[in-house]
Amino acid sequence: MTFTPRGRLINPRLGIYFGIFASGFISLVLMLLMFEQMGVSRGLLSGLMLGGALSAFLIISVAGISREPIDFFAAGRRVPAVYCGLGLAVSTMGATGMACLAGAFFLIGFDAIWIMSGGFAGYVVMAVLLAPFLRKFGAFTVPTYLGRRFDSRNVRIVSAALFSVPTLLILAAEIGIGAKAVDWLLAQGPAVATAVMVLAVICGLVFGGMRALTWTGVATGVAALLALVVPVAIIAVLLGYLPLPQLSHGPMIRGIGRSEAIVGMPIGLQPQLGLLLPFDGFQPVFKRIAEPFGAIGPLAYSLATLSVMMGVAAAPWILPRIATTPGVYEARKALGWACFFFGSIMLTLITIAVFMREYLMQAAGSSIAAPPDWLRDLVTQRFAQISTRGNQIGVGEIAFDRDSILLALPHAAGLPEVFANLAAVGILAAAFAAASAAALTLAAMLSEDIVNGLNWQPPATTIRLIVVRVMIVIVVSFGGLIAVIAHGDALKLLLWALALTASAGFPVLVASIWWKRVNQYGAFAGIVTGFAVAILMILASESRLIELSSVLAAIVAVPAGVAALVTVSLLTLPPTRHSLELVRDVRVPGGEILYDREMRILRQKERRRT
Amino acid sequence: MIERKERKPYWRHTKWQMLASLIPFLIVLIVLPLYADGLNHNKFLGFPLGYLLAAHGLFLIALITLSSFVNRQDAIDHWHGAHEDN
Repeated sequence: MTFTPRGRLINPRLGIYFGIFASGFISLVLMLLMFEQMGVSRGLLSGLMLGGALSAFLIISVAGISREPIDFFAAGRRVPAVYCGLGLAVSTMGATGMACLAGAFFLIGFDAIWIMSGGFAGYVVMAVLLAPFLRKFGAFTVPTYLGRRFDSRNVRIVSAALFSVPTLLILAAEIGIGAKAVDWLLAQGPAVATAVMVLAVICGLVFGGMRALTWTGVATGVAALLALVVPVAIIAVLLGYLPLPQLSHGPMIRGIGRSEAIVGMPIGLQPQLGLLLPFDGFQPVFKRIAEPFGAIGPLAYSLATLSVMMGVAAAPWILPRIATTPGVYEARKALGWACFFFGSIMLTLITIAVFMREYLMQAAGSSIAAPPDWLRDLVTQRFAQISTRGNQIGVGEIAFDRDSILLALPHAAGLPEVFANLAAVGILAAAFAAASAAALTLAAMLSEDIVNGLNWQPPATTIRLIVVRVMIVIVVSFGGLIAVIAHGDALKLLLWALALTASAGFPVLVASIWWKRVNQYGAFAGIVTGFAVAILMILASESRLIELSSVLAAIVAVPAGVAALVTVSLLTLPPTRHSLELVRDVRVPGGEILYDREMRILRQKERRRT
Repeated sequence: MIERKERKPYWRHTKWQMLASLIPFLIVLIVLPLYADGLNHNKFLGFPLGYLLAAHGLFLIALITLSSFVNRQDAIDHWHGAHEDN
């Protein structure tokens, strides 16, 4: 089954299935719009929206039930490039990227663009340096690849243990943001919302694994794109611009800049390594939207972009999905599509932030006794707070909740309630996708590389699938527990996870393909050193021992990891013949998938021994 | 499957393609936002130019880098016979 032609593998009816899903989703929204006009209660509307969306995702995931490891871990290697790319784009930064980044763009404008640029750069770097070769190897998890490549159980177990930490951070962050969106829709309290989120992710994953994850990833991507693009197009038309606001909001930015100059908003300049990240809570707008380096220093901007780039390129919750494409060429194309969809989502978020600023500028200067209707609405919904001492509301006296900007814009524009529900469902969809991706990666790493890490031969199919399914339940419940108990700032958790991935994973992964001299000791040293230095930097920054922001931990940890990798590799024995042959074969796209070949050779050795 | 004597030329070609794709992109990634302040005084399509290039421009450059890499690398694979069989 190793030279099967691509044409036979891919399901030709995928477009039809997702067309049905998209039409169903749009019909649901239109029907709820009609219900709202007829006077149906708000609770019922949001319940129907939530129920409709979640049941659609769960039906798709249950329909994708898997009985073979190749389906459960690699979706049968039948995912075309477009679908893989869309799933990747939504689950790279997930709902944290959508909700928290929209808030960050709104609050600090230009100075949040580095997170987006880091994402693009991450895809480019992954496509050129890592993805084709990891697809040629075809392993189901990153630690399995590292273990076989260096022929070392220690590397496998240690990398699984250390990569679990950033994956767990992402899982907790996404469940937290998803629960926030569910809580806004259901209004039953955060505990119920987290429970709903946890149950949804468990049901979504436990039947189908990667196969379910891929197809629900596409569905959630479609839902998130619709939820972002449609309201913003409507608002653009309401404000008098063309319906493609991502390209036409230029005059609005210049208008906002003129209002900001009239109001007298300050133009600051941060020190070279300064980094102010908006926290999750209420804060006012304090800098102009298009002015660079008011909340982040120039050097910090470049370094932070590189840190996010390396983190995204080596992210263990994205890399195994490369193995689901039918071939190496498809893997490269999938990353191109991922970049396209990710960029579309990000540019739409920037547009949403700009529109929100436009409304803010219109509200500034109104009297405290008669604020605009939408501002009163936002304060009642707890998206904004007004704290003013005089008679007029100044721009700096309205504090916004960073994570609620996506929900606030439909209210600010006076759109029907259904559009705010649609935005919440978009956030929920992205959270579902990213949390599922992180949970499956974590469960696969724990079951394949830690529970079974001492054997190269994977266990029998039934046991293998049962163990990973049990791990999924444990992991998601644990993630939900952390999200409820330790309310972390989701954006900070995401950036820490990316910093940890960049320091622990990026040097080793790149070296394993591009440098033949690296051996298992160097890999071990590289992973452990990078991870340890990154954790130390994050702890030191958070407890104010050093001046550097914790987000920039990777700029010290990556060079440390690289130095450890290179020194230890050069000081110890050269790699084995087996490793060198693996490297030589992983560099060529054609030929048999190396993981399958390794498993076949292991089975032959077993048979010869017994 | 690739022939023995094509392996070294193929890898050399791939390495140069990697550098040719990554290095210009990384230079633009780092240098462009540093000039954004000065560029913001000009306008293009109604946008302040610095902001336009740092956000939309970088997106376009990433897409162009990726698509040209995918096509070039596929051509390299076929030239050396290292491509897949489907």
